[in-house]
Amino acid sequence: MRAVLSSAGIELRAVEPAPDGAELARRRAMRPKRELKLSDAARSLVADFDGARADIAERRKRGEASVRRTNANAAAAAASAALQVAPPPPPGTLYHVGTLRGGQALHHAGNIVVVGDVNPGTELVATGDIVVFGRLLGVAHAGAQGDNDAKVYALQLHATQLRIASVIAVDEEHARSASEPEVAFVRDGRIAIAPFSKAAEVAG
Amino acid sequence: MAGRRIVITSGKGGVGKTTTTANLGAALAKRGSRVVLVDADIGLRNLDLVLGLEKRIVFDLVEVVEGRCQLRQALIKDKRFESLAILPAAQTRDKDAITESQFESVIAEAAQNADYVLIDCPAGIEGGFRNAVAGAKEAIVVTTPEVSAIRDADRVVGKLNDRALPIRLIVNRLRPEMVRTGDMLSVEDVCEILAVELVGVIPEDPEVIDTTNRGEPIVLDPAARLGIIYEKIARRLEGEMVPFTSFDSQGFFGKLFGALKAG
Repeated sequence: MRAVLSSAGIELRAVEPAPDGAELARRRAMRPKRELKLSDAARSLVADFDGARADIAERRKRGEASVRRTNANAAAAAASAALQVAPPPPPGTLYHVGTLRGGQALHHAGNIVVVGDVNPGTELVATGDIVVFGRLLGVAHAGAQGDNDAKVYALQLHATQLRIASVIAVDEEHARSASEPEVAFVRDGRIAIAPFSKAAEVAG
Repeated sequence: MAGRRIVITSGKGGVGKTTTTANLGAALAKRGSRVVLVDADIGLRNLDLVLGLEKRIVFDLVEVVEGRCQLRQALIKDKRFESLAILPAAQTRDKDAITESQFESVIAEAAQNADYVLIDCPAGIEGGFRNAVAGAKEAIVVTTPEVSAIRDADRVVGKLNDRALPIRLIVNRLRPEMVRTGDMLSVEDVCEILAVELVGVIPEDPEVIDTTNRGEPIVLDPAARLGIIYEKIARRLEGEMVPFTSFDSQGFFGKLFGALKAG
């Protein structure tokens, strides 16, 4: 190992075998036992705290806020105010990487994006859209709180059952074997599926 | 009058509980009974697949128990048999999602409008088994002529005896040619060990694998020999005395196996 590394120009330093348990116990026994003593600095800290405690008690007695507002606090407050002005993140999108297997379920208020396959027996329920960058073979329910505009996208859309808002569809025939990405959406109260490449014109 | 409530169980997995439930249910429905099949295997549901009804599931057993839908909304009617319906298990939950008393009340409700409620029990003897058995008044134990399956079946029979359920036995996946050569336990051997009433002997048949994969009960095919056997079991359940099919070399199956070998 060392030879390989040094031939590659890497030098190993301070690599010594880890001491075994007995050795550690021996070293611990050798260490001189001392009483814990506060250093001068620590003692002065204790004194500081004593002062602070007295100060807080005094303020309480006068009915004031127990903590003094300093300029540093004001700066922090200004910073957090600035943060609040920043735009909020878009409505939550649940992003899942990996295969979802039978029995697993993702329920999310917002959109769901799965990078991976969604196997039969899986349940995806989103109040928004569902995007599967893989094969969708399980049950997918988009717009679960009644959003008829929600859509389900998948590279291979072969869902056991598709639900959008309150519309349910089943692909009984196994007839479609499309290999291109598709999108499912509601049209005239029924779920329609179109190739993703034509989604804009069809869904429009 | 409420219908009969029969749990189909085995202890061991893979001996054919689900296939038996589906085909026996179909056979009973074909004979005109109103049948509800209940998949008690929460988290590992299969009965819907075997019957080809997976795509039509909207609600399931757990949602009925939790009061999120009515029982009749969750029941899926089989298009091929008007009087056959299944209550699917939940797939994304586990066995702890329901209690024995909750399951019992769902089964009792299902039995109100059915002649038979067949409960497909999960493998094992834990919570899922206890739930499935809690809903039943009778039991069918399925086993294969293998030492391990019989050992588990014996354990299950003991558990069912504790609950004073009447027990019947189905010996599944028998291979008569192996019994003849002494390489497989015979039905008599199995019955001697388990000592419960025999209602059916089902030979191993590759066709079952095919029909199961396609989601069709084999009972649908009037020519299928296994379909005939399931119908015989259905008749025995209804109290008819039906002679058992002979598996001797002189019998129908013997000839068939002979022919297969010759071919």
